[in-house]
Amino acid sequence: MTAVPHSPPAAIQLRGVGKRFTGSDGEAVGVAPTDLDVAAGEIHGIIGFSGAGKSTLLRLVNLLERPDSGEVIVHGENLTRMSPPQLRAARQRIGMIFQHFNLLHNRTVAENVAFPLRIAGASPERIRERVQACLSFVGLSDKAEAWPSQLSGGQKQRVAIARALAPEPHLLLADEPTSALDPRTTLSLLEVLDDVNRRLGVTILLVSHEMAVIRRLCHRVSVMEAGEVIERVELTNGQVPPDSRLAQWLTEFGGASPAQAPGALEKESASV
Amino acid sequence: MFDLSIFDGIIELLPEIGKATGETLLMMAICLTAAVLIGGSLGIAVFLTSRGQALARYRRFNLLANAVINVVRSFPFIILLVAVSPFSRHIVGTSIGPLAASVPLSLAAIFYFARLIEQTLRDVPRGVIEAAEAMGASPLQIVFHVLLVEARSGLILAFTVLTVSFLSYSAVAGVVGGGGIGDLAIRYGYYRFETDIMVATIVLLVVMVQSIQFLGQWLARRLDKR
Repeated sequence: MTAVPHSPPAAIQLRGVGKRFTGSDGEAVGVAPTDLDVAAGEIHGIIGFSGAGKSTLLRLVNLLERPDSGEVIVHGENLTRMSPPQLRAARQRIGMIFQHFNLLHNRTVAENVAFPLRIAGASPERIRERVQACLSFVGLSDKAEAWPSQLSGGQKQRVAIARALAPEPHLLLADEPTSALDPRTTLSLLEVLDDVNRRLGVTILLVSHEMAVIRRLCHRVSVMEAGEVIERVELTNGQVPPDSRLAQWLTEFGGASPAQAPGALEKESASV
Repeated sequence: MFDLSIFDGIIELLPEIGKATGETLLMMAICLTAAVLIGGSLGIAVFLTSRGQALARYRRFNLLANAVINVVRSFPFIILLVAVSPFSRHIVGTSIGPLAASVPLSLAAIFYFARLIEQTLRDVPRGVIEAAEAMGASPLQIVFHVLLVEARSGLILAFTVLTVSFLSYSAVAGVVGGGGIGDLAIRYGYYRFETDIMVATIVLLVVMVQSIQFLGQWLARRLDKR
């Protein structure tokens, strides 16, 4: 498939990026060579069943997974051609949050948020100012001196968002950010992510298997199955085009998480 | 009233006990320092080059280091002690005394601690290390800002185990005239059937082990915020 050029500048351009590896059960998993374009300022969702390669595709963007083939271009910079120090510098401009938060347990909330800035060698004044601003953005100013173990799951993810925002990235990668949270906490967290996009203008690439998350948040969606992007869909006000494969999923699974109905889709019916 | 004469032998040997304690402390200081600096670095290096970690591409180093650690750790300490004695003489100029005994002690401690550290670091969740990588942390920053911080309780406990083990190992150093408290217990208590001396030295060792263990656990608990 050929990449459709966008009018706004591209935040992410993947060109033929693929990664094959063997899973623990000996089965081949990964991502087939794929193109992906995410425009600056949009919230782009990646949805699919477990094992479809969603997280791998996301992790290819900041090269946490090294692709076997293809090029990864973020904000016009070709990450795949960078030396390790250049790549580290580029990663400092890309935020990332995870399903299990991945906070440092032996650091306070404020120290966690300060972490990417310290890595980047920011001045103490800048660190103080950014930690304050980011914690206040996610509504946790009063928890600055708390330990992560004292927080609820939703609060931990807010801290993780504050940490990701600290170096003022233009791009945020979100790997199943609400999958470990209950529905109500999920909703309030989606508000935060929506704010991050609207108020701060941060582009978000989000992986989820929860359809509700995708509908609530995303402007565009890539649907993945068995390591391939099988469909790209434009959402308008959370409405899915009725002739899309995604709409078919929704009727099949009633808008619930497709992962709750395992094995319901066969690969051969997935050509788009 | 009380017959205090049972303490006579001990009182007579107090200077000896003092000297032995000094020797033990000297040997411990040397081998623990070597273990922490060299063994700690080696353990971190082995961890970082293991599968799935930041420096996994240096697989040959990992294999070699693992093999060396296993080989040295296979040696019964008393054989190591004798085997490296020419080497000890080369380094400290003599093959007897606490300084000479510190060479095999350090050697054993370095590889023992390297293994302990490598295993302790495995308790740091992969996701936390990955988050740091995603933020652009260098391998060295991951070591100092993530691994050593997140594993600090485990590292303290590993050091506690090391200290207690080598307090015991240092007794064997008597074979090369290393001296120390354990050596005193063997020489007077065991070989010369002076039970009071043996009991006194063993009580001293028990107190030291208990204190080390207590201190280590207290510190580990205090530092653990998980």
